Amino acid sequence: MAASIIETTGLTRSYGDICALKPLDLLVPEGEWLSVMGHSGSGKSTFMNLVGGLDRPTSGSLQVGGENLLALSEDGLARFRREFVGIIFQQHHLVPYLTAVENVMMAQYFHSVPDEAEARFALERVGLGHRLKNRPGELSGGEQQRVCIARAIINSPKLLLGDEPTGNLDHKSTIMVMELLKELRAEENFTVIMVTHNQEVAAWGDRTIYLDDGILVREERLVKTDEG
Amino acid sequence: MIAIVYKLIPHLLSWFCIVLVLLRCFSVRRSVIMIAGISGFICGVADSAVLFRFFSASTSYAVIKSALGASFFLFWTIAVVAVYRSGERSTTVSSRARWFDSSFSAGVISAFIAIVSGAICACRIPVVDSGALTYAVPVLAAISLAYASLCIEKRISVSFKAAPLGAFAAVVALLLFSSSSLPRLDLFSPLSMKVMKGVHDFVHQFMESILIPDHLFVKPIVWKYIGLLFGKEVGFWGGIIIWFTPVLLIALAIGSARLPSVAHIRQGAQRRKLLAAAIREQRLQLVIPFFSIVIFAGAAYQSSFPSVEYWDPTPVAVTANQAGEIFIPKTGEINLEDGKLHKYLFKQGTREARFFILLGPDGQLTVDLDACAICKPDGYGQADGAVLCYYCKTLIPLETVGKPGGCNPVPISFIEKGDGVAIDGITLINSWVSTVQATTRVTEGGK
Repeated sequence: MAASIIETTGLTRSYGDICALKPLDLLVPEGEWLSVMGHSGSGKSTFMNLVGGLDRPTSGSLQVGGENLLALSEDGLARFRREFVGIIFQQHHLVPYLTAVENVMMAQYFHSVPDEAEARFALERVGLGHRLKNRPGELSGGEQQRVCIARAIINSPKLLLGDEPTGNLDHKSTIMVMELLKELRAEENFTVIMVTHNQEVAAWGDRTIYLDDGILVREERLVKTDEG
Repeated sequence: MIAIVYKLIPHLLSWFCIVLVLLRCFSVRRSVIMIAGISGFICGVADSAVLFRFFSASTSYAVIKSALGASFFLFWTIAVVAVYRSGERSTTVSSRARWFDSSFSAGVISAFIAIVSGAICACRIPVVDSGALTYAVPVLAAISLAYASLCIEKRISVSFKAAPLGAFAAVVALLLFSSSSLPRLDLFSPLSMKVMKGVHDFVHQFMESILIPDHLFVKPIVWKYIGLLFGKEVGFWGGIIIWFTPVLLIALAIGSARLPSVAHIRQGAQRRKLLAAAIREQRLQLVIPFFSIVIFAGAAYQSSFPSVEYWDPTPVAVTANQAGEIFIPKTGEINLEDGKLHKYLFKQGTREARFFILLGPDGQLTVDLDACAICKPDGYGQADGAVLCYYCKTLIPLETVGKPGGCNPVPISFIEKGDGVAIDGITLINSWVSTVQATTRVTEGGK
């Protein structure tokens, strides 16, 4: 069995009196595609923010890629996010006045140094070789999301987090994005944690966990046939 | 004792920074740096004490100043070589780098620098009445400061590395800063003077002897620009160029050094990360050369305000009698034979002249203009055993005051009459006017 990339023990997150995530014990093996499902307010995004180093837990332990995130300083956490995590959001969060290639290069800039050739190649990998110089406003929702994927993987993260990445997309675009993620994961072997409402999207994962009111209530492991 | 400590502050501050830079440069040889540095400093103080005890002050200062001059010359050489070699990319540790990283080289370099630093420091201790206890003050302070440097250096981030070139620039800058407060060890003022004299001599010989008069191309307008070369500021700016160029070259060499090749790393993120780390390290390495520029500027500034105690009398107004003679009594309100420089101002109509009277070491009075034939007439003060030119900061031994030529004050003929000194007013004014005209006309656009 692969080593765990995420280990949580008694992980909680409270906002004042509201406990968004109740003690959670979870192991995520390296290279796994984990889908996280649940209703609105069930703690899905809270969980994703915690493992992505975007937020700090209230209590418990949280090890991601061998790093104890509770022990990291703000600088350490920034380095962790920069080098270890790629994130795809539902709302894309692309810079509107930069072109597709510049949006990808911006991620390179915050990681290390920009490299336009590498950014172009990343966009070609996601099928946007012909849209390099277009701004987000000139791209469809699916294309924008593919720019986000290129931006998320450009720094070779070990952990790719998706927060409803297909929430705004039609069925065709959803399938296209999910297939792309699957191909990239096969090539790069990163771990995926995908927060979604959509059962069909969750089914792309190796395992699905269900959260309800901050509690892990159920988990399902998908058995894949050779045909997928 | 407190006065001595106060005087030593700039030197000890320089020593503190030198140890810090050396520790950062040879960060894996801390104990070697500390032992060699402290031993070297003690040797430097002892050497200086021995020099001053067994040789004349001028010889002793000349020895220490030669070491400083040699280090500045070496700095220039290294800077030029560094710029020449900055385009080379080394992929393996060269034999030179291995030699540089050894404990032996770290110890030798640190010891040599510490000896010079200690010797400069000891020059601030008065030779008269200086016992072993007096010399113990800088030594104890240096040991304490070296330890403080060690404690601080350990707290500095490991990513902040001092490139050997940058460290060398900083050390030379700090040594020159330390020496610049001592006029006899200062390099900047004599450098400026040499530049000024060199340029003046060149312009004089080349332009005047060869091109003048009646050259087809040298029209009056051209002399306006040639006149700039005769200006007093040419020495200062020429000195500044020579002073700052090597450290700028070193910064250029560090900034333009080729980054290590990362082309063999396949993963883009890893390749970029290594490249970013190399760029960051290169940028951090520029901090020390820029710090050195500030120190060099401080040394140049400090050389303009030497911290020697000098007598700076206000000129006393005097008048001539009906015969045009200025008579100054030897005793009275001012005692001309007290060994101090006494300055006077003589006005005749719209013209005026400054002069001073001084009792020389030979017991003879001398009357001199408060100006020389070379410098801008900023005047003179009296330092220990010398008069100090306020313009070029040259110290002129009292033995040579009263003799004409060079940086010496222009002597004026006078007669000792009974209980006073008589000077011809017309001669004085004419001498002043001709001297001052010769040294200031060039600022007004040449001939």
